[in-house]
Amino acid sequence: MTSPAPTCPHCARTVAPADRFCEDCGGSLSTLRKVAIPRPPSTDAPCTDCGNDVHFDEYCNVCGHRRAQPDRDEASLGAMALITDRGIEHARNEDAAAAGMLVGSDAAAPDAIAVVVCDGVSSSDEAHKAAVAASTAGVDAMLAAIASSKKPRVAMLAGLDTAAKAAVAAGVDSEAAPSCTYTAAIVIPTARAAHITVGNVGDSRAYWLPEPPGAAQQLTVDDSLSQELITAGASPDSEAVRRGAHTLTRWLGADSDPEPWSESSVQTITADGPGTLLLCSDGLWNYLPDAADIARYCIGADPSAAARALTEYALDAGGQDNITVVIIPIGGTS
Amino acid sequence: MSSAEHQGISVDVDHNPYLAEGTGTVDAIVSITADVAGTTSEPERVEAIIIDCSTSMQAPIEKFEAAKRATAAAIMELVDGTYFTIVDGTEKAASVYPKEGLARASTETKAAAMRAVDGLRPHGGTAMGTWLAHVRGIVGQRKGAIVHAILLTDGKDEHETPEELGLEIGLSEGEFTCDCRGVGTAWEVDELRAISTALLGTVDIVADPEDLADDFASMMKASMGKAIPDLTLRLWTPAGANIEFVKQVAPTVEDLTHRRVEAGNQCGEYPLGSWGSEDRDYHIQVEVEPAAIGREKLAARVSVVAGDEVLGEGLVKAMWTADTGLSAQISRRVAHYTGQAELAQAVQEGLSARKAGDVKTATAKLQRAMELAVESGNDGTAKLLGRVVEVDERTGTVQLRREVAAADEMALDARSTRTARVRKET
Repeated sequence: MTSPAPTCPHCARTVAPADRFCEDCGGSLSTLRKVAIPRPPSTDAPCTDCGNDVHFDEYCNVCGHRRAQPDRDEASLGAMALITDRGIEHARNEDAAAAGMLVGSDAAAPDAIAVVVCDGVSSSDEAHKAAVAASTAGVDAMLAAIASSKKPRVAMLAGLDTAAKAAVAAGVDSEAAPSCTYTAAIVIPTARAAHITVGNVGDSRAYWLPEPPGAAQQLTVDDSLSQELITAGASPDSEAVRRGAHTLTRWLGADSDPEPWSESSVQTITADGPGTLLLCSDGLWNYLPDAADIARYCIGADPSAAARALTEYALDAGGQDNITVVIIPIGGTS
Repeated sequence: MSSAEHQGISVDVDHNPYLAEGTGTVDAIVSITADVAGTTSEPERVEAIIIDCSTSMQAPIEKFEAAKRATAAAIMELVDGTYFTIVDGTEKAASVYPKEGLARASTETKAAAMRAVDGLRPHGGTAMGTWLAHVRGIVGQRKGAIVHAILLTDGKDEHETPEELGLEIGLSEGEFTCDCRGVGTAWEVDELRAISTALLGTVDIVADPEDLADDFASMMKASMGKAIPDLTLRLWTPAGANIEFVKQVAPTVEDLTHRRVEAGNQCGEYPLGSWGSEDRDYHIQVEVEPAAIGREKLAARVSVVAGDEVLGEGLVKAMWTADTGLSAQISRRVAHYTGQAELAQAVQEGLSARKAGDVKTATAKLQRAMELAVESGNDGTAKLLGRVVEVDERTGTVQLRREVAAADEMALDARSTRTARVRKET
C-alpha cells in the first residue's frame, strides 16, 4: 500500500479510511455524486425542424418550434440506472428523476443513496418545473441530512419538506402553478443488503423486488382516489376504482397542503438479501401494476437494460403517459 | 424614458394552448396593463379642441352656447404647460386661439382662450376633413408629444366628398388621437366612428347640449392622465403562419388587423395609441402550420413597444395533443370576447337593416344581439337595445319598437362596440 493516508476535505486532518465523519471537525468524509434527468437540451444546436440557428426563449425564431426535448434521457450513477421517456400521447415529458450518493473511500460501495421520482401533474401548465425542482431538492436535502448523521426517517421527512417548498417555488412565476407527485427512497447499505426507507406523496411507486425466493412487493401506497376506495373496501376491479385511478388526493406544489404527507407516507424495510429497489411513475405501472411482473424484468438483468426493457414495454402498450424508471441494485452483484 | 417607467407595463396571455392533430388555429386574449402612477417625467402634451361653428349650431342657440361652455370646461382641465389650440370648424377651419400655432396653457392663456371662444358665432357649413387637416398642420410641430384632439359636431359632413374626408383621416392616422362627439341627432354615427376608429379615440352622442360641459371636462381629464405617447403591439409569428385578425376587444371592439405595418423578421406592428393607467384586452387569432403530436410551437410572440424599446412581452404557445379533452376546451375569455365582437356587429348590422327598411333582417340581428348582451352580462348594451326592440318576456322573441327616439338609436349605434369585461381565469 503506497497510497497516502486519506485526509478530511474540510480541515485536512488525516482520517482513518473507514471513517464516515472526521474525528476532528465532524465534517462528512463522503463525497457527493448526483445525477438528474431529463437534462435540458443543448442550447447551441440549430433548430432540428428548420435548421435555423437562432432561438429565443427556447423557441426557434423562424419556424417557432420549441427546441426539441429528447424523447428519452438515460443516466447511471454507480450501479443505478435512471431512464425517463416522453411516452407517446403526451406533448412533453413532465416526469423527472434524481439520484445522489455519498461515497466514502470505496466508490463501488456508497455509504448512502437517495433517489426521487416525480411526475408533473398535467393539469398545470409548467408541471415539469415542479417535478424537476422537487426531485433535485429532495435528493439534496436527504443526502445533507444523512451526511449530518440524521436517521433515514428524519432525512426522508427533511427531503419531503424541502421538495414541497421547491415545488411551490417553481410555480411563483406561472399563472397555473405547477404540481407533482414525489416518491423517494433512501438506501443505507449494510453488510448483508440494505436498510431501505421510502416515502411518497401521490401515485408514483417504489417496489422491492428481492431475488427468489423472496416475494416482490409494492412498498408505497398511492395517494389516489381509487386507493382510498380500495382502502374503504371497494373492489379493485370496480368501475369507481378504475375511474379514480388517476385522481390524486395528495401532491406537492400548487394548492397543496403545506405538509401533504403523514406518518404512514414513510415506510422502512430491511432487505437481508440481494434484489432490486425500483421507483417508477405511473407511466410504467399503468401497464405493469403487479410487482411480480416488474420483477421478471429486473432479476439477474443489467440495471440499464432492465430499465430500457420496462420502458419499451410501456411504450408498446400505448405509452399514454410519461415513463420514468429508476433501478437500484441492492446487496452486491451475487 | 428611464427603465423605472417601464415597470408599469405588463402583458398577459390567456388561451388554450392545446391543439388537436392536424389543426392550427390559435386564439389568445392578450391583456396589456399600464400603470403610469410611478412615471416621474411629465410628457409633452398637445391638445386641440375643434368646435363645429356651422350655422345649424344656432338652432337652437342654446346648443352653441352649450358648446362654448363645454370648450371652456375642457380648457379649465388643461395642465399648465400643455400646448393647445382652439379650432373653429365650418366648411373650412380657422384657429380661434391662438391665432397661429400653439399656446402654452397658463392662467393667462386659458383666460384669453375662453374669451376668444366666447366671441365665436355660427357662420358656415361642415367639412370635417379640413378640420383634421388644420389640426395636423399645427400639431405636427411637436413630434413625440402626446397629441389629442376633441372634435364636436352637430351635423353631417356636407361640404366635402366622403373621399376627401377619408383621405384626410388617413393622413391624420398616427399624428394625433381624436375623441369625437355628436350633439343632438342630426349627425351620422358612421361618419364620426370612421374618424374616431382611425384616430384611436372614442365616439359618443351627447343628446342633450346641457351634458356637453361635463363630457368635455371628463374627456380632457382622461387625456391629461395619459403618460405614454405611443405604444405599439409587435407581433412575431412563425414562418408559414397567417394572422387571421388582431382586435382590441376591451374596453371597446376595434379591429386592428388592417393596421399592420411590416417590421421585418416575421414581425408586424399595430398602433395602440397613447396610454394612461389602464388595461386593454386584445384578441389575436393566428393560423399556424400544424406540428406532430407531442410538439410545441410558438404561435405568436406579443411585444409591447415604445420607440425601439420592448416594455413587455407575452408568448402564445401551441401544443399538439391526442387528448381531445385538452384540445376541445375553449378559453372562457376567448369565448366571451368572440361573443362581444359578434354582439357589436349584430347591433350595427341590425340598425343598418332597420334604416334600410329590412324589418326581417333587423329583427333577427337585434334579437341575436339581445341574446348575446344578456348572456354575457353586457348590461349597458342590453339596456340600450331595450329602447329599440321589445322583448316578449314569455317567448324571448324580439320585435322592433314602432316609435324609437333618434337619440336612443344613435346611442345604441355609437356605443355598440363597448364590451363587458370578463375576469381573468386564475
